[in-house]
Parts: sequence; C-alpha cells; structure tokens
Amino acid sequence: MFGSLCLPPFTAMIAGALLLPFLPKSVRSAAFILFPLLSLIIIWTSPFGELLSVGFAGYTLILSDVDALSRIFGTIFSLIAFIGGIYAFNLKETAQQVAALLYAGGSLGVVFAGDYFTLFMFWELMAAASVYLIWARRTNEAAKAGMRYIIVHLFGGVLLLSGILLHLASGGGLEIGRIAQDGSLSSWLILLGVGLNAAIPPLHAWLADAYPRATVTGAVFLSAFTTKTAVYVLIRIFPGWEILIFAGVIMALYGVVYAVLANDIREILAYHIISQVGYMVAGVGIGTALALNGAVAHAFCHILYKALLFMGAGVALHTTGTSKLADLGGFARYQKAAVALYMIGAFSISGFPLFNGFISKSMVISAAGASHLNAAMLLLLLASVGTFLHTGLKLPYFTWFGEDKGIRPSKTPRSMLIAMAIAAFFCTLLGVAPSILYAYLPFDATFHPYTIPHLVETVQILTFTFIGFWVLRGKLAGDYTIAIDTDWFYRRPKTLVWTVFVGWVNDFFDAAERTAMNTAHAVAAMSKNPARYVIYDGSDDPAYSPARYRQPVSAIILCVLVSFIIFALAGIFT
Amino acid sequence: MKRIHWILLGIITVVSFVFEMAQEPHHWWERIPGFYIYFGFIGCVAIIVISKALGKRFIQKDEDYYDVR
Repeated sequence: MFGSLCLPPFTAMIAGALLLPFLPKSVRSAAFILFPLLSLIIIWTSPFGELLSVGFAGYTLILSDVDALSRIFGTIFSLIAFIGGIYAFNLKETAQQVAALLYAGGSLGVVFAGDYFTLFMFWELMAAASVYLIWARRTNEAAKAGMRYIIVHLFGGVLLLSGILLHLASGGGLEIGRIAQDGSLSSWLILLGVGLNAAIPPLHAWLADAYPRATVTGAVFLSAFTTKTAVYVLIRIFPGWEILIFAGVIMALYGVVYAVLANDIREILAYHIISQVGYMVAGVGIGTALALNGAVAHAFCHILYKALLFMGAGVALHTTGTSKLADLGGFARYQKAAVALYMIGAFSISGFPLFNGFISKSMVISAAGASHLNAAMLLLLLASVGTFLHTGLKLPYFTWFGEDKGIRPSKTPRSMLIAMAIAAFFCTLLGVAPSILYAYLPFDATFHPYTIPHLVETVQILTFTFIGFWVLRGKLAGDYTIAIDTDWFYRRPKTLVWTVFVGWVNDFFDAAERTAMNTAHAVAAMSKNPARYVIYDGSDDPAYSPARYRQPVSAIILCVLVSFIIFALAGIFT
Repeated sequence: MKRIHWILLGIITVVSFVFEMAQEPHHWWERIPGFYIYFGFIGCVAIIVISKALGKRFIQKDEDYYDVR
C-alpha cells in the first residue's frame, strides 16, 4: 500500500492542529510556531519525486510529490505560517490557532499533491479552515461575510470537482499535469474552480468582501494562502493559456480602480492582492520560462510583503479599534516602529529598488516585453503606478499622517512588531540579494533586475507617481461609502429572494391560516343558533332562546309524530 | 513637503534622465525622451480621476446599501 515511507510536508501542520488543544494553554502560542519550522525541515530534507502514494478505490493517490516548484511554494507557505504565528503570539484563542494550522496544512497539502483527488481534498480543507478566521471576529458583519465566503468557495469547489470528474471520464489521468488548451469542458471547469480561488474577476468578490472583516491575525494568514495556492495550481496545469494574460492584466488594473474607492484600509490591501495576483496570472498566461519564474518569484515576494502590510494595518486596527480611513489619521508619532516596518512592505509592493517587489514584479513585466506583448507590458506598468499610489502613499498618509483626528492608540504588542520585523527583513534581504531566491526558481531562465534601464524606468515612474499623488491628495481622502462589486449579484437580490421565498411563503401561510380561522369562526357562529336559518319568525335577533322557538319546534315535532301515526296506520291497513 | 524634498526629487529626476539618454531604447515608446516621467504622472492622475468618476457614477453607495430592505 505504501510506496515509500517518508513524511508528506503537510503532516507537521495537521498534526500540530490536532495536538495543540491538548497542550497546556501557556505553551500553545510557542508550540504553534514550531510546526511551520518542522514543515520547513521536512520540505528541505525530502528528496525530489513521489514520496508517498496510497491505493484508494482503484486509484493511486500521490500524497507527496516534491519538485523545485512545489518546494519553493512549500517553503514560503511554511515561512509565512511561522511569521503569522509570531504575530499572533499574544492571541490566546486555541480555535483560531488550530484553524490557522489546518489552513496552512491544507495549502501544503495542495502544493505537494500529485493527483487531483488529493488536491481537491486539501482545497476544501483550506476553505473550511479559513472561514473560521473570519467568523472568529465575532461581529454580525463577519458572520454574514464568512457565510458568503464559504458558500462561494463551496461553489468553486463544485466547479473544480466537476472538472476533475469530467477530466477522468474523458480518459484523462488522475495525476496532476499540464492540460492543453483544447477547449474541453473539463479543462474550463477546472480553470474556473481554480480561477475563483485566484480571485480572477468576476469570480473575485469574495476576497475583498471577506478579508477586511476577518480577525486582525486571521487576515495575515488569509492574505498568504488561498490565492497563492491557486496561482501554484495555475502554474502546474495551465501554463501558456493565452486567456490568462488578459485575465491577469484586467485583475492588475481592476484592483487598482477599487483601491481608490475603498475606505477600509484592509479592503485597500485586499484589492491590491487581486492586483498583485494579476501579475502572477499574466505571467502564467505568457508561459515562457522567464514569465513562469516571474510568477513563482512574485508569489514568493508577494506573500512576504502582503503579510507585512496586513500586519501593519492590523496594528492600526488593533490599537485604535477602527480600520476606516476616514476615521484614522495623525498618530504616526505613537507607532513609529510599526509605520517604518509597514513602509518597508509598501516600498516592496511598489517595486522600489532594493526591496523584493522590484526583483520579482520586473520579471513578469520584462517577460511580457520579451514576448512582444507591448500592451500587456504597459498596462502592468500602469498598475504598478496604482500600487504605489495606494499602498505606498494613500494608505499610510491617511492612516498615520494627514489630519490629526485625536486618536491615541493603545500600545502595540511586541510580538506583532517582531513578526513585522522578520517579514521586513526578508523583503529587504531578497531585494538586496535576489540570487538567494533566483537560485531556487524552478524554470530555466536567468534574469538580472538591477540594470540601468530598469532602474531609470522605476525611478521615473515612482517619482512622478508621488508628485501626482501630492497634487491630487485632497481627492483621495476616505469617505463613508462602500464600493459595490460583483458580489452585488448575490447580495443585492437578497431582498428579492427574501421577498419571494420567505415573504411570499409567509404571506401564503398567513392567508391560509386566516381563512381557516375565519371559516371556523363562521361555522361556530352559525352553530350557535342554526334554527334561525331554518325558521323565520320576523325577528333579527340572532340569539337562541327556547321560548322563541317553542311553538315552531313543537309544530315540527307534532308533524313528525303525526306522520309516524299515519305511516303506522297505513302499515296496519294495507 | 519642504523645499529640500522637492530639490531632492528634482535631482533624482535629472540623474535618471541623464542615464536614460545614455541607453539604447528597447521599445518604440522609449524613443520618447523621459517617457516614464509622463507615464508615471499622467498614469497617476488618470487612475485617480477615472476611478473617482466610475465610483461616483456607478460603484460607490451608502454604507447601509446592502442592509436596506
């Protein structure tokens, strides 16, 4: 049954999730961060190849399949679970810790899965575990958003599973591999299922809906796993699918437009996940070795700086109790360390030289240029203008600087700052020494980010984006509105659905009940004095009284008696 | 923004422009001198103006938009 005995990488996290509730409460936070480290050890000591396969119902499930691509994704997922664990060190809530471990374990399960069934199993585990990180906020909004999140992801799971089953039925193998762009229904269903998790519009609204409502620590985990496992699966199955170039470019700009309009700081960051994942999706669509390496490198760097940004926004929310841009402002001097660390994340996502966004984003953009996709290249550059504008300028300016709204934040827990510092360290390290990351990229392409044309291009764009922001910053202040997105289609008709399926049904039963009661009342009223419907005595008084009907009743009885006598006599004489 | 900051930005722009002039263009648009200067500024303004216009016209609603029956 067992091909070989070697631990699959997900086992550390899953075992951790099962073990954690049985440990003494005081050591749970410390134990939490051990499991990601254990995963890292397993991943880096595993040889390449299929390590564990299990026979199941006539199929062979490959629970652990290690190669350069899965190893680099497994590494960053474990690393970010470690950093997230430190960020949440002060959180004494076992259920959230268990959910986070299951979630991280699920992502490792997907990454190292060698077959579609194993992938699907862990895919669903991720959805189920992650929703708890939203519900744990324990607000009415979070409860509803979490419910929408899980329903949308179950729908995505159904698409994925239908695609997998059709793929098998049409003679495809169970083993995960490249699917040719042949227009078959199964491949489209799988693409839609994966695309939903990658937040490709119009299947993206769950992300910006749910992430801003998650717990402070939960959002850090959420920002890392779901979309990037989907990017990983896209790289595995759909490299070179041209439609993904379009999807990626649209995503990159879509997130930018919505980030202008968002008022919640974590919603701005959420829309910029969509924007940044756009670069990765476009890279997968371009499909050259350089573009795929770019997608992998950008996913790796993105997880680090996006978690750092969410941690920074989380500090603001945690210490002030609000995440609304319109309420925040003017308390940077109380949170100098957090602001400085946030800015490292902001410089990274904006692609400043010496930070990690520069060395990964430019790979995808250069790959577009190298494949003569000029329009895609320019539009991705335009999206990077928007990235700096929002994450690097608007968000920190209106959150920590700008008008002093008299906010006096509580003290930032030290564990949060330590976690941010670790993420910031890696963002800077990879920016300064990109070869550390490049050496482990799975595809065969070389890239040098620090060339004079790249530096000139980046410096000019960033400088003049800043000037544009400074001129128009008055237009960018947050206001108390929400931005409707494609979730409109399942949120707005709620009233209609409610009216038809609850309101009208209730109305029907109400009417039926009323009719029944009215009929019963009428029958009861009639039976009080049925005589008055039979015997008219000239009076309208409905009440029954024996005296009133004595004569007519005695007349009827007399008639009956007389008829009996007549019949009896007739019987005798005939 | 103090005067010194603007001077620094000016120096950075001039230096980048000098380096740009020393480079061979890779794409047609790079033959326009200082292309990425206009691109950054106009792109930034366009993103703000277009997004705000879309927001006002279609996208932005009151915060209780989904709660009203």
